[in-house]
Amino acid sequence: MIFLAYLICGLLLLGIAAVVLKWRLKGETAAASKSSFLNNLTLAHAAAYLVITGLAIIRLPLPVLAFNNYLFMDPLAIYEVLIAEIIFFLAAVYGRGYIKNLLERRVIKVESLELFYGSFNLLMVIMVFTFFSNNLALFWILLELTTILSAVLIVTLSDRANVIAALKYVFIASTAMLFSVIGLILLFATAKQTSGIGTLNWTELMLIANSLPPSLFIFAFVFCFIGFASKSGIVPFHTWLPQAYAKAPSMVSAVFSAVLINGGIYGIIRLYSIAHQNSCWHTITVILIVFGVLSIAVAAFSMLPRTNLKKLIGFSSIEHMGLVLIGVGLGTAVTLFWTLFHILAHSLSKALLFFSAGILKNQYESSYLQDMAAAFKLQPLATWGVIIGALAVVGMPPFPIFFSKLFILVQLGNFSLPVLIVVLVLLLIVAAALAYLLINSLTQPGENTLKPYRIDWTMKLPIQVLFVAIIGITVYLAFGLSGILNTITASLGY
Amino acid sequence: MMNPISIILIKVLFVFILGTAALIIMQKSLRSLFSIYAIQSLLMAFVSLVLFKETGSFVLLALAVLTVVTKVIIIPYMLNRVRKDSGIHHDAEFRYLTPVSAIIIGMALIFVIYSSFLRVFQLSQDNLFFLGSVIGVSLAMLGMLVIFSRKKIVTKAVGYLMMENGVLLFGVFIAELPFIIELFIIVDLVIFILLAAVLSMGIDSTEEDLTRKLNNLTKWFKQ
Repeated sequence: MIFLAYLICGLLLLGIAAVVLKWRLKGETAAASKSSFLNNLTLAHAAAYLVITGLAIIRLPLPVLAFNNYLFMDPLAIYEVLIAEIIFFLAAVYGRGYIKNLLERRVIKVESLELFYGSFNLLMVIMVFTFFSNNLALFWILLELTTILSAVLIVTLSDRANVIAALKYVFIASTAMLFSVIGLILLFATAKQTSGIGTLNWTELMLIANSLPPSLFIFAFVFCFIGFASKSGIVPFHTWLPQAYAKAPSMVSAVFSAVLINGGIYGIIRLYSIAHQNSCWHTITVILIVFGVLSIAVAAFSMLPRTNLKKLIGFSSIEHMGLVLIGVGLGTAVTLFWTLFHILAHSLSKALLFFSAGILKNQYESSYLQDMAAAFKLQPLATWGVIIGALAVVGMPPFPIFFSKLFILVQLGNFSLPVLIVVLVLLLIVAAALAYLLINSLTQPGENTLKPYRIDWTMKLPIQVLFVAIIGITVYLAFGLSGILNTITASLGY
Repeated sequence: MMNPISIILIKVLFVFILGTAALIIMQKSLRSLFSIYAIQSLLMAFVSLVLFKETGSFVLLALAVLTVVTKVIIIPYMLNRVRKDSGIHHDAEFRYLTPVSAIIIGMALIFVIYSSFLRVFQLSQDNLFFLGSVIGVSLAMLGMLVIFSRKKIVTKAVGYLMMENGVLLFGVFIAELPFIIELFIIVDLVIFILLAAVLSMGIDSTEEDLTRKLNNLTKWFKQ
């Protein structure tokens, strides 16, 4: 029932959009009215999803299974869906002013609006069902569809560089995802060998987790990992990420780095929780930590010479996914708890960064840091957004990432001291790179030939909300969030 | 126990499939490239058919039909249309690897896969299912080589299709996934090729053209 509610909601709005576009706005040349109409629908869609999820949390006893066990709702899925919906909602609010501005500057064309909002809404639906899919194969298909929709969202700004970025994303992600299919087939065969019935359902795999043959499971895990890691920008499958983030419209970049990137990690968390019950988990821990450290290292050294603000933020996402991978790989209840908290904090901080970067990009018509002269004077809110976002992703004390980073690193020290030292040095480089680049660029004196461009209140609101939310979740951690995170950890069998 | 003639037949088909893979790595004319891909898919359908005859599993029959419809007819037709629309008929550019070195690396890859699978699966070397899975993963790896070493998007797309064929072959021999999943994977493949084709045209066209093509794409999504 609840899953149908999600689907019907989307279909209803699609119907309204089709009818209105066909009859009321037929031949309408005013771009603004079409844009705000489509934005209203998107907002309504996102708000409806938040309400449905809210109701599900309050009313339903978890886990819920439906559609021949293809879909399910458990605490982890709900948690990820909620993060996704909040970000989608904020992005939709932000998009109202942002897309209007892009239209005025003729960066996006009126004809592309339907495609843009259509893909955006569809991405939201598919992302929600990706997290709700109980079946690994269904999960794979939906995750693969998000790649295609993301590519469409990138190319709506019909620029040659955008097409190249989108193609790079599609080819790298899809190629890697095909390896996942090999992993899925192996897992299916392994499950069939163990229990007699081939299955790819998380719920059923968890039941037979401890009797799966370890060597075959590791083999399957490695293949699955390649695809999921590429979706999360883990090194060496990350090469698409900075370019795609830099070229996509900022509201889409925010969704990419705060929601889409969680999809791959979600798959890895699920697979690891199966491995956790099996004797092979030591090997998988080593694999995850190696790739995690590698991601942090490559991101750290790539951040130093950056000049493009959005690419800089993109590399920071790679670094954080590395950290999350280490958190997952350490495989204790404590690290999983803090990893989940880290995912939430990272999503909020990245959304803040991209929303602010979007305003700066519109102001200077460039994402290059050297162009951002007199930023404090021209766009004080966005500049503070970038600074606070940067402090938050680096993990300064009052911000939530400080806590998650601290506890993950403490556990890493228990695992291996040399690895901890290496990671600490790398994180220092990341912090130094961010501080150096931002202080240098945002404090440039400008001769002030530019006029401050007036930003819509709808673009300011999400940034202000995120300021409060980032500090708020640290407080909320003490008053209820920790309970939720403990429930999720327990539901994964830790 | 399988009929010895079927075993020999499948082994012969394997050899031909590997042959088409080598041809795809080397071929420069796009038209031939698409035809070779269609032939490779047809060979795959034959493998499924022979296995269907032996096991009687209808998933295999459905798979063979689906392969013929989508990969022998629809996808090559779409690719050929892109070729005609874009006016690009040759892809003679190779990056990182020349065709000969790609073939040598490909052979090395097959050997590595063979020996590592031998250890993991602990099956006898004569086992048809073992051979099938090795050929499947090798085909996927060779497809990846094509994606790496070719420059034009359309050729890369053929590399991706070849990878998918490899994965499918692997699936047929290791474990039959439920048919609905196979169907979705193929639908996904068609959308992927459509998108890649539109975008590859986008790279060579002007902005107005691209917007028009993207709008055409919307029609596909709306259907």
